[in-house]
Amino acid sequence: MALLFRFLQAFALLLLASAVVAEHTSNWAVLVSTSRFWFNYRHLANVLSLYRTVKRLGIPDSQIILMLPDDMACNPRNAFPGTVYSNADRAVDLYGDNIEVDYRGYEVTVENFIRLLTDRLDEDVPRSKRLGSDAGSNVLVYMTGHGGDQFLKFQDAEEIGAWDLADAFGQMWEKKRYHELLFMIDTCQANTMYTHFYSPNIVATGSSEIDQSSYSHHADNDVGVAVIDRWTYYVLEFLETQVTSVTSKLNLGDLFDSYDESKIHSQPGVRWDLFPGGEQEGRLRTVVDFFGNVQNVEVENANATEPGSLKEDLAEIARLVEKWQNRDEEYSAMLADSATNVTEDLHSSSLHLKLKSTVGPTKMAEDSSWGKRLVGISVVGACTAIWVAGSFLGRSSV
Amino acid sequence: MTTKTGDQESPQASSSQGDQLSVKRAPPPETPAALQTRFRVIAAFWAVIIFLGFPIWWKTTSIYRASLPIEEMVDWADGKACRPVFPLDIHLATPSMQSFEAQHLLRTTQHTLDDLNEFAAHHLRLKLTNGTTTAVHNGEDNLEYPAKETADTALTVRLLPQDGLASPWSELHAAATQLDIFYPPSQVPVPSSSNSPLSTFIAAELQQLYGEEKATIAHILSGNTAGLDSTSPQLAEDIDRRLRRSMKYAETYHLSFSLFTPGSEPSSWDIEAAVKEYVSPLLQALSPISNFTVDTQVQLYANFAPTAPKPEYDESEAAWTLKKEGLSAFVNAAEWPLNPSIGNGPTINFILYVPDPSQSPLIVKENRASSWIVPQWGGVFLLNPPLSNTGEQSAPSNPSHLSLDSLGPAFMTFSHQLLTLLGTPSTPASLPLRLQTSIRIRAASLLLSASSTMGSLARLTKSLPSIPIPATVATSVSTTLSHLSASCVHLREGRFGAALASARVAETEAERSFFEKSMVGQVYFPDEHKVAVYLPLLGPIGVPLVVGLLKELKRIAARRKANGAAS
Repeated sequence: MALLFRFLQAFALLLLASAVVAEHTSNWAVLVSTSRFWFNYRHLANVLSLYRTVKRLGIPDSQIILMLPDDMACNPRNAFPGTVYSNADRAVDLYGDNIEVDYRGYEVTVENFIRLLTDRLDEDVPRSKRLGSDAGSNVLVYMTGHGGDQFLKFQDAEEIGAWDLADAFGQMWEKKRYHELLFMIDTCQANTMYTHFYSPNIVATGSSEIDQSSYSHHADNDVGVAVIDRWTYYVLEFLETQVTSVTSKLNLGDLFDSYDESKIHSQPGVRWDLFPGGEQEGRLRTVVDFFGNVQNVEVENANATEPGSLKEDLAEIARLVEKWQNRDEEYSAMLADSATNVTEDLHSSSLHLKLKSTVGPTKMAEDSSWGKRLVGISVVGACTAIWVAGSFLGRSSV
Repeated sequence: MTTKTGDQESPQASSSQGDQLSVKRAPPPETPAALQTRFRVIAAFWAVIIFLGFPIWWKTTSIYRASLPIEEMVDWADGKACRPVFPLDIHLATPSMQSFEAQHLLRTTQHTLDDLNEFAAHHLRLKLTNGTTTAVHNGEDNLEYPAKETADTALTVRLLPQDGLASPWSELHAAATQLDIFYPPSQVPVPSSSNSPLSTFIAAELQQLYGEEKATIAHILSGNTAGLDSTSPQLAEDIDRRLRRSMKYAETYHLSFSLFTPGSEPSSWDIEAAVKEYVSPLLQALSPISNFTVDTQVQLYANFAPTAPKPEYDESEAAWTLKKEGLSAFVNAAEWPLNPSIGNGPTINFILYVPDPSQSPLIVKENRASSWIVPQWGGVFLLNPPLSNTGEQSAPSNPSHLSLDSLGPAFMTFSHQLLTLLGTPSTPASLPLRLQTSIRIRAASLLLSASSTMGSLARLTKSLPSIPIPATVATSVSTTLSHLSASCVHLREGRFGAALASARVAETEAERSFFEKSMVGQVYFPDEHKVAVYLPLLGPIGVPLVVGLLKELKRIAARRKANGAAS
């Protein structure tokens, strides 16, 4: 059996080598914890551990969207203020000194999450809060919290349904906002969350089947609560011990094979059918395709002379610079000649930075407020009229 | 009202019940007045429900969906609405030829060109021109004033006779859109011949000049690597690589120039002068394509990431070297403050790194290069300034100020990297021509991308029936469609600057319509949720109403029957 598997793997590798794999050009990660309050410490620790891992593998902060609904490090019940640990040995402080939380506290809502995925955000929303992925981006979406059959609770107040999530991914695919997407979820009945997905190029994995709970791994007696969930713990164990650098060749198949139900205490699930080529093809994607940042740096050869090379370009740019300098001189000479006719917009070589129009106070109210009032008055009037007419008619009939 | 009638009825009912107790246990017949009152009551309630309640419910729960021209949008996405064509006007200046000779040369050359061309959407149109010097500046003027009624002149070919030549040769002006062709006077085609070496030569030159552009446009239009048959695999790969590393189109790009150094020096640089000197001319030339803003920063004590490979000293090179495969970890993304959140355009980062004196000079091991491009992100340049020894004992140190001269090579490289990152093609070897080419390429890709966004929006509208579509989306869509067709017409008529301008508007509006922020109102409610919401609300009201209506209908039906039987 093992031999057969080896053979299959070798065969698959051969396939990989022969086929040209469509490359992705950037990596994005969306890491979401959805629960508040101190006793949900482990959910934040899950997300922060994963945050640390993707950062270690090279995804820059600008390409990680971190959503934390609570601040465990500054919770008054935290015996180790300013820190978050995901292990009772407290070896690694996940909070560290360089952490960029993009959505925090009550900003973590279903609406904001869907807006983030579909990029239906106000123009004023800064880039750090946007998912700027494109058709060449591999996106990792990790969610954790309390969930149930086809929903995941956000902040004790609302929930996201599997349908909404599927539609959000559907819209992302429509607008070419990902190349391939890895969806991971650690919650009770997690596998129900990806049942409704319909857009292609998604690999989804969850921690537990329907009607199964997802358990925490262990508690830290000094912190006083459980510090990490089981499934996340073992995923992280794989990532931390096996995927040691961006150059790691381990693939998703290895990651999913490392699931051990006797350790996780629930049945993790994987969904391959949306991926072109199904499981066979999907297993070959390397782990760092999603958790790392793959960059194909192009070193420029200073001595090459083919068209478009550095040297050629430099010569051309130098000529351009010279030309503009000449033009600048002509322009200033012309200015000196005819100082009266300055209004004509001639091109100076200085940078055309847009003059910012002065921002003054503006009225924020909707323009149709009078219309609304009119509607209100007429509704009230109509109701009164009906009431008067009704009572009048009623008296006459009795 | 109802209770009153009820009160009046009840004594009658009880008395008659007492009388007829032995005969029949049925209540006495109601008075016609009571019947009529009850009928009115029920009718009044139902009237309120039907004419007031129902419309209010309908109005408040329905989702506003502006009507979109779905058919047209899908047509654009499928490429049925517009077949982009790129007719390039090439002016032929023949200062020392007779006009009939020139006409004939033009005809034969055009013929040869058409024979050579295998990509119908992109073709060259030759035109005779008399001006010899005026045309030289035409090209760049078109860059600056995109909206012009006449077609843009892509290139001016000047034919100059030169004695003592065996075969014609050409020279491309690097700073203008002009190609000089020198030919031996004997090769001027005689009107009787159908072909001549000169016209073949001109056609081949032009074909070669626009080969890469043609392949790129074919690649963009077909959307895959197999663009043209004749494209060499090398060129196809180059094009593919260029399209992959170039930035996604944006209306505005932020250029961020950063000076990073691990020590305390250099702490200042002549950045304003350097930007003005080396970057502004390029940005000016690129202004028809995008807007640019420039930001700069100096970051001292910038260390490598702990996991990044350290530079190693190479004895043979007498320099510190970085391995090529370690370069992707060179930028310490976690700690260097890059990617500032300014505006909503993407940032292109240019990093000038001055190594520590103890690690200077620093170069790339493989080819001694000092700069590299990070695809879709920016570029890095390693600057090794001459070290200064301040005292006998003290270690050498970096200069505290970088002058304009020392920044020169770095900023020239950044300009080159900017061109590369914006997807400017590498041939021909004339910057104005390359910029013109990139205008056409951008126009083509924007046209496609806006069209495909229209298709996405159309499909989205159909597949998500619960998503609201505000009126602004409909407006944006119509603006997009009109600009798309305008762009298509401009392309057909060879006005590429105007086509790009229209395509830019179309792209912006298309994005705005797709990313309209009020289109998130859809939250899926399973049917059982709806039942759970409506049942407690409508049950207690609905049951008496429906039962009352049914009873009344039954009574009316019974009376009809009775009347029918009686008559």
